[in-house]
Amino acid sequence: MQQVTFKSAISETFSSVRNFSFEEKKSFLSEEKVNELLDAILEFNRIFNKKTTTINSINEKIEKLTWFNDLNNETLLSLNDLISSIKDVHSTLIKQYVSLNYIRSKGIAKEEIAKFKNALDDLKESYQDLESIFFFLPEMPDFKETTKQLSLI
Amino acid sequence: MKIFCLADFKVEFDKLKTKKSYNTIEADIIEYFFGKSVEVLCTGTRLNNSAETPYIKKRINGKGGFRFYFLLIIKDENLFLMFVHPKTGSMGYENIKDESKAYLYKKVLECIKNKDLFEMTLNSEGKNIVFKKA
Repeated sequence: MQQVTFKSAISETFSSVRNFSFEEKKSFLSEEKVNELLDAILEFNRIFNKKTTTINSINEKIEKLTWFNDLNNETLLSLNDLISSIKDVHSTLIKQYVSLNYIRSKGIAKEEIAKFKNALDDLKESYQDLESIFFFLPEMPDFKETTKQLSLI
Repeated sequence: MKIFCLADFKVEFDKLKTKKSYNTIEADIIEYFFGKSVEVLCTGTRLNNSAETPYIKKRINGKGGFRFYFLLIIKDENLFLMFVHPKTGSMGYENIKDESKAYLYKKVLECIKNKDLFEMTLNSEGKNIVFKKA
């Protein structure tokens, strides 16, 4: 009686292993599943490439703002709003970047994520520079004096 | 366009050139600065709101992600490289402080007045920079 139970337990276990093995192999080899995974990775890459392109384009626009000469209180006020807005979007995007830690650790979309982070770092540098140029450096006496003396050279 | 640099710039350049991660610096400088018009060089981030003597920070997104700080005196067609730092790698950092930006600005003015500069030209093959005390 005990032998029959043992045998049937083995058989039951064997059946479970066999079924699991079959399902896993079937699932793993399914071209459809592989394609779904690849499509998801491609879509992920596309989304992050688009974000990176947008950030880089914003960075270029910010650089161009530093070449305008007609500064007044109204433009300074607008620049102040712009800096706050860039800080806000930077903070949102950094949270997105941190949420990608697991994906990054698996080596998925490594290059796309690195480019995204690089563009984000440039964005931070851009708003820091904007603040310096329009609000901090013009208030430094040495800086003002140098500008004055250079204009006389 | 004549190109000059401060001694501080040369020190940084020599240091970076010997590092494998930054050994593109010489080629990057030649490609970006040499033989270029004022219009081409008046890009990047202008730090001093001056049309005649713009103080510029330029990002060159190559191997080291170099940041170049330079001054242009447009009427004389002279360019003064003041400082460079990489953004990435062991010697890299993101930005310099406002105090450093102001210090470099004051320093370049002093060096121009005292002619304490190096003139930068290219060797006969055009592949290397030659520094000569001005």
